[in-house]
Amino acid sequence: MPHAPLIQLENVTLTRGGRVVLDDLSLDIAERRVGLIGTNGSGKSSLVRLLNGLLAAEKGRVTVHGLDAATQAGELPRKVGFIFQNPDHQIIFPTVAEEIAFSLEQAGMPRREAAKEAVPALARFQRAHWAERPVHALSEGEKQFLCIIAVLVMRPALVILDEPFSSLDLPTRRRLESLVAGLEQQVILVAHELDAFEGYDRVIWLHAGRLRGDGPPEAVIAAYRAFAEALA
Amino acid sequence: MISLYLPERTWLHAVPAGWKLLALALISLVAAPLNSLPVMAGLLLAALVLYASLGKAALKQIALLRPLWPLFLILLAFHWWNGDITAGLVVLARILAMVLLANAVTMTTRMDAMMDAVEPLLAPLRLFGGSPRAVALAVAMMIRFVPLLFALWEALNDSWRARTGKRGGWRLLAPFCIQTLRLSHHTAEALAARGGAPRGDRR
Repeated sequence: MPHAPLIQLENVTLTRGGRVVLDDLSLDIAERRVGLIGTNGSGKSSLVRLLNGLLAAEKGRVTVHGLDAATQAGELPRKVGFIFQNPDHQIIFPTVAEEIAFSLEQAGMPRREAAKEAVPALARFQRAHWAERPVHALSEGEKQFLCIIAVLVMRPALVILDEPFSSLDLPTRRRLESLVAGLEQQVILVAHELDAFEGYDRVIWLHAGRLRGDGPPEAVIAAYRAFAEALA
Repeated sequence: MISLYLPERTWLHAVPAGWKLLALALISLVAAPLNSLPVMAGLLLAALVLYASLGKAALKQIALLRPLWPLFLILLAFHWWNGDITAGLVVLARILAMVLLANAVTMTTRMDAMMDAVEPLLAPLRLFGGSPRAVALAVAMMIRFVPLLFALWEALNDSWRARTGKRGGWRLLAPFCIQTLRLSHHTAEALAARGGAPRGDRR
């Protein structure tokens, strides 16, 4: 068990659209591989958005890898990489190399250097041949792979994946899972595919904005399955 | 689906973005006041020869003009009604040639090169607190999202046809606008997650 928590939430409350989505939530997270589960609307996506500074807590305190999310929100994107469910929402540029160059620039590299460095950066992921490809010509899996590469080249300390597998076929999903498994960074994975948490250190189960389960994956997932089956 | 960038390298890819944009601007300036049908037809022919020189993939891009045909028809009808069909043909040839030439620049120029070329022209924005880099990024995003919006329209049309057996046409405009707004919201969030639009000028 690691020592100091890398992520701390202290009595965090968040309201969206008049509904309380996180309700006085407190968490210390120090593990390298953390899963986040729960039914739709349980607060999972809101929680991970707090960690990247996309949302701000109304009450309570959020600290992520030494940064206070309230006062240092502008610095969070460099420290926290965020991968969204739909890669088409995330990819900004028309070609792969430009997308990677943009990430490098956002990480602080001068623009011309970033443009030159894009192909070697892709080569580190065995995807140098993608450089000139238009992003719309990539498959869904390739687009999601590109999103992950675009985040990783920024060298974040924490990588958050918010339901990244939902539109992928099984072989593509396995490839991406294997890529994520090899990351040296701390990873928080939000997913409905419960087998995706194999080898994870901890799984957190949110329900109605509160902690419903927290601990080793096997125990939490078993309890969640029983809960879901009772609801069905 | 229409792509605005040709991944296969052509001779035009090697021409610097600034030169291509300058040539396009000069041709536009020269072509605008001319009203000679042979000259405009010649310009259109030159644009088509340019596409042929860029290869098959470029020639396929001429399909980009297909959605514009109702506009062309209205334009010709208007001039025919005014009793000057020749003027209509001149205008039509000019529009066709300029759209094709502008698209030739877009499909052979990477957005980062385009942004580098355009940014100095946007420098006066700084006087008003604007960021040339952010504007250039917005243009890049617009280019990136054109194929995505085409796909969105096709998906809505398919969905309509699956339930009605007919094309959606104008009825799709409202859902298309709503979906586009939703897309822009998600994209803004994703951009914010990567640190937002760059404001600096670090080259």
